Amino acid sequence: MATQDRLTATIFRAEATGPKPQQSAGLLRVEDLSVSYGPNQVVSNVGFELGRGKSLALIGESGSGKSTIARAVLRLLPGGAHATGRVEFDGHDVLGLPERRFRPLRGRAIGFVPQDPGNSLNPVRTIGVQAMEAAALLDEPDKAIRKALILETFAQVGLDNPQRVYDSYPHQLSGGMLQRVLIGLAVLPRPSLLVADEPTSALDVTIQKRILDLLSRLQHELNISLLLITHDLAIAAERADSLVVLKDGVVQETGGTTAVFSSPKSAYARKLHADVPALNPDRYARLRDPGFRFLKADTGKTPKIEVSAVTKTFAVDGRVVTAVDDVSFSVPAGTTHALVGESGSGKTTAIRLLLGLEQPDTGNISVAGERLNGRSHESLRAVWRHLQFVYQNPFTSLDPTWTVERLVREPLDRFKIGTAKERVEHVREALANVGLGEHLLSRKPEALSGGQRQRVAIARSLVLKPDVIVLDEPTSALDVSVQADIVEVLLSLQSNLGLTYVFVSHDLALVRQLAHTVSVMHRGRVVEQGTVSDIFDNPQQPYTVSLLKSIPSGAARVAPVPSPQPRRIINQEQVA
Amino acid sequence: MNSAYRTYAAKRLVQAVVVILLAYVFTFVVVSILPGDPITNVLRNPQNGFTEDQIREIIAAQGLDRPVLVQLWSSFSSFLVGDLGLSMRSHRPVATLIAEVLPSTLILAFAGLVVALLLAVVIAYGTRFLPKRFGQGLLRGFPSLFLSVPNFVIGLVLIHLFGFQLGVFRVIEPDSFWATLFAAIALGIPISAQIAEVLIANLDHEAGQEYAAVARSRGLGKARLFAKHLLKPSSLPVVTVIALTIGELLGGSLITETVFGRTGIGSLVQRSVSTQDLPVLQAVVSLAAVVFVVVNLIADLTYPLLDPRVKLLGTPERRPATADEGSSTISQAVTS
Repeated sequence: MATQDRLTATIFRAEATGPKPQQSAGLLRVEDLSVSYGPNQVVSNVGFELGRGKSLALIGESGSGKSTIARAVLRLLPGGAHATGRVEFDGHDVLGLPERRFRPLRGRAIGFVPQDPGNSLNPVRTIGVQAMEAAALLDEPDKAIRKALILETFAQVGLDNPQRVYDSYPHQLSGGMLQRVLIGLAVLPRPSLLVADEPTSALDVTIQKRILDLLSRLQHELNISLLLITHDLAIAAERADSLVVLKDGVVQETGGTTAVFSSPKSAYARKLHADVPALNPDRYARLRDPGFRFLKADTGKTPKIEVSAVTKTFAVDGRVVTAVDDVSFSVPAGTTHALVGESGSGKTTAIRLLLGLEQPDTGNISVAGERLNGRSHESLRAVWRHLQFVYQNPFTSLDPTWTVERLVREPLDRFKIGTAKERVEHVREALANVGLGEHLLSRKPEALSGGQRQRVAIARSLVLKPDVIVLDEPTSALDVSVQADIVEVLLSLQSNLGLTYVFVSHDLALVRQLAHTVSVMHRGRVVEQGTVSDIFDNPQQPYTVSLLKSIPSGAARVAPVPSPQPRRIINQEQVA
Repeated sequence: MNSAYRTYAAKRLVQAVVVILLAYVFTFVVVSILPGDPITNVLRNPQNGFTEDQIREIIAAQGLDRPVLVQLWSSFSSFLVGDLGLSMRSHRPVATLIAEVLPSTLILAFAGLVVALLLAVVIAYGTRFLPKRFGQGLLRGFPSLFLSVPNFVIGLVLIHLFGFQLGVFRVIEPDSFWATLFAAIALGIPISAQIAEVLIANLDHEAGQEYAAVARSRGLGKARLFAKHLLKPSSLPVVTVIALTIGELLGGSLITETVFGRTGIGSLVQRSVSTQDLPVLQAVVSLAAVVFVVVNLIADLTYPLLDPRVKLLGTPERRPATADEGSSTISQAVTS
């Protein structure tokens, strides 16, 4: 039992030396911080203060400089960056300290939880070897005890089988598990400050909630200060004591969460608030609601899209995986049907089947009364004229060497529609429909913003004048304000042209804003189906309820949650 | 090692043996359809002074009057049991001739590879961590410089400087330790350039990855970051490059042997080509094939050890289920 005693003693020591005695001054103070890459200043005169045990969120869209500020605090700015001003951590001047003096603070005093868990652990080394690097900061000479502490931390962050995780390589774990590992490694040396840079933006919505809950819990349990970087105002409002709103590297507004969130003073903070789907479920009611009449009118017309009892299996590594299991839904013309679900729920396979890119094992799919399954590629082409697709990521879906004009014209060329002159006319019309001016015709994608690129992608699908457009997470790669613009374009196109949409998304708040009917998918099956109000106001299935609960609303500021005691019992085998 | 790796290794080994045997057959066929009859040329060379009867006798003894396919079979079957035949020039077993010179070449090639690897790692490390004022940028120019100087020039400079001027080694004792070392340096420098290029590019790439920043946030210093995190993933492509440079190592060792006056495979090949000693050439070509195949086999077998993500050929890798997130998550098994 001697080992057990020493272990307990070490845990005590680690906790006793962790949070330092209360002081009046803030733990982290940033004053007049400016960062530039060559001539480009990306952060200008930013200042804020974070107290011990408190949490502060930096909010902004891409390019707002929020991550750059985090990197400046961590002293992880890339080579070309130049930072001026003052970053004071626990009395140390972070920017002025030589690396030799700053290094003892890394990990021990300042922990870092990165954005993309999939790229944040060395892929060719085991989790255990990398965890040992964090454990080395504990001043514990006995390797067995260090390992036991790692396993205990893994259990504390909610990893079920710590020993298996310890022996795994990163590619063998899911994104959620990796983020738990990274949080565990960051809190293991008991830092007094944790910098979390968009810790959940790469994760599914239910996992996002669990990870954020975990961070909040650890923050209170271990009395850690949390600097949270996020683009999501709702998340920030739920998780932080105070907010700093950034745009183009300049602070727009700062203050207590309740003040900034409930009564924003700056125009930008108000716009940010208005653009968050979760906070404004009825924002597009004027454009969307007329579509509901197509649902009610039981005119006996065949629905535009009819998917009935479709099943698709794949053989993966000798096992049979049912990607889509007995899925049925129908979409009346002029309405939007949303497929929602987390990664692996089968929604992507479902739309590949709908587009005729895969053939179902059983079941039928018809679009505008024409059966899609069992057709040759040639006869599918005729269907594709009326069935178009907008891809998720406009940064990779457009050929970077083509001009906008050629990109939008390509479908017309492929289907040999009209004369050359007519095609140019169609291209202009499609661009006007998505709100892009003719001066962009000769540009290439790299000269366009993300929102403009996605508009080009939509124009490209519109140019054939289709009846149905399948949209695969069309805004997930875009900022929230850009997303709002794209949603508006899509909805006005629908009301003007009577388009039918199939909208795939993991973002339930967004679905609530723009869809008429919803299918909730889970493990390849449709677990619940109905109109938007059925699903959101009166969910029947526990899975749907858990999805809805995971939407950050900013409303409930998470209080110090009384948490179960961290597990202290460690198996003798694990110590040995 | 797990069973998947053993299956993979066994398959690779069988493939390697097949390639070697095919290479032998291929060489034999190429030699036999070459224009001119080198055998007759040698035997009927007036300097050798064979009479017609003697020639017939030799041809019959060597079995050269039989059909090509029969010759191929007899030659192939003796190759299988390690019998490489007799040299037509010295009438000694080819295996003995090769065994006499092979160790010298192997030592040189191996030493050259070691020198190349050391140089490459040192240069790559320097480009990342040498302070700017000590020529971090200058080091990046080294690989192109090394590549553009032929290794016989490097060899001559080394001989002149260290052999004649400084007297570190004696040119008339080419197999001494110091002479071998400098020959290895001459051989290794151009090869280090290619390895260093790839290593530098990959280190730059890996250092820009998020995991490197996260590791630094755990308090790792530059040297430990380099050794523990960056070197292993960066060395994956290096393994491929090394396997490819083996040819250059062998070819380069022929030149280096000549420059440094060493007796090795190089001088044996030179003699055999000028005297059209076919059995020796056939054996050397087969030997080269063996070396290539073995080195590539080693590279293939090393790869999965360096990178756990490498999918082993023909052995499906199971994606472990991600059960920790409770019922609401599914492993991304199919597509997304």
